[in-house]
Amino acid sequence: MKTDYNIDYLLDLKGEPCPFPAMSTIDAYDDMADEEVIEVLSDCPQSINSIPVDAKKRGHDVLLVQQDGPTFRYVIRVHK
Amino acid sequence: MASLKKAWNPMLAIPILGALSAFYFGLTQTFWAVTGEFTRWGASLMNLVGIDTSHYSYLKLIHYQGTVLDRVDGIMIIGMFLGAFVAALISNNVKLRWPTSKIRIGQAIGGGILAGFGARLAMGCNLAAFFTGIPQFSLHAWIFTIFTVIGTYFGTKIIKMPFFRPRVKLQKKNSHTLADLHQGDHTSRNRVLLILAGVAIVGLFFVEANKAALLPWVLIFGLAFGFLLEKGQVCFTSAFRDLWTAGRTNMTKAIIVGMLVSTIITYFFIRSGIPAKIMWAGPNVVIGGFVFGIGIVIAGGCETGWMYRAMEGQVHYMLVGVGNIIGSMLLVISWDALAPKIVMPFPKVNLLTSLGNYGGLAFTYGALLLSLLLVMWYERHFFKKNSEPTKEVLAHEN
Repeated sequence: MKTDYNIDYLLDLKGEPCPFPAMSTIDAYDDMADEEVIEVLSDCPQSINSIPVDAKKRGHDVLLVQQDGPTFRYVIRVHK
Repeated sequence: MASLKKAWNPMLAIPILGALSAFYFGLTQTFWAVTGEFTRWGASLMNLVGIDTSHYSYLKLIHYQGTVLDRVDGIMIIGMFLGAFVAALISNNVKLRWPTSKIRIGQAIGGGILAGFGARLAMGCNLAAFFTGIPQFSLHAWIFTIFTVIGTYFGTKIIKMPFFRPRVKLQKKNSHTLADLHQGDHTSRNRVLLILAGVAIVGLFFVEANKAALLPWVLIFGLAFGFLLEKGQVCFTSAFRDLWTAGRTNMTKAIIVGMLVSTIITYFFIRSGIPAKIMWAGPNVVIGGFVFGIGIVIAGGCETGWMYRAMEGQVHYMLVGVGNIIGSMLLVISWDALAPKIVMPFPKVNLLTSLGNYGGLAFTYGALLLSLLLVMWYERHFFKKNSEPTKEVLAHEN
């Protein structure tokens, strides 16, 4: 699937139980520059209550939340 | 149909759970609880391998008799598993997920054992000593909650150690294409499993209706509990732990609102004559809450949390469940040595008797609202503290 923005990073957390997907995603923001985009994959459905919430709380834009199968996808643009 | 497939906001799911759990108490005269039943499963396992459990007083205390299909807690739990499974199928969340490392397997079983032991020592878990214990006006639930909070703080220190960190690396991507999720099409598999679950539910309904008029209703409540837990992805562990890991409060606030709802309904049932479920407020609750708090963080989920995640096919949480049952068996074995020292000499404090009806109600609502304010204050404090380094960097750059 094509996007109209560039995705700078991929963080594939499939297989990790919570809270590690949420913790690793927050850590990843530290390694990114302003306006960079990250795609996060997690098959821990509880991440729906953590990853987008944490991103918004930190002032980042949640560009995409996909939850139509066991693996969830989040695309986030980081603002610093 | 789309909203049935997506996850529901915990702020919707948990207050419904709160109201339902209070009506469940009104119907069954017992509270929504799970670890007591898991302890009975542990006892049945011990019997199965030839261990005589008749001299363990803890099993008499929790009325260990009959089979899972005869007990209110038993049929409720089967309902929860089935309800969670149905929700997971509708949401297309069912997939067998294997642990990524031996460390995770150790975490699941070890954390599960600690959580199971701590919960039973305190006579409840995240339900009976927290979510459904506080609305019963039992002082032990407040003490348990405070020490669970402290336990999760230390538990978070443990899981933040590099040893437990995922080995996953941030990959540089630089592309306009989303990764292929290799999800496959589970539509027909999900449909078959849904039909099987439906058959099981209908079958159980008839079996239970023949046993007692109450039991089919218990099954329905169990189904609703499990369904809502999965749909809301309700995680009691997250409500405590993620305050420390991420300053996140959505689950915490939703749970407090859930208790604000269930407390008043439970109050009316108690006033109408159903005896409140009150437990000993002794050092067992302090130790149990603390050990439980550490255990649930290491395991990554508590009792209700592992139940719906196991039904989603997360093997990690099946192991947490095994750990929980082992932990509760260890408690059964050690109870007779521990109880005369740290449980029995201490009173069962009912806030409605010690503070009066309105006093107990006012205390509970006051303390719940204070908790809500504390959580909101903590969240502001967390983000203020964590944004400070950025400001310093900016000042430096200017």
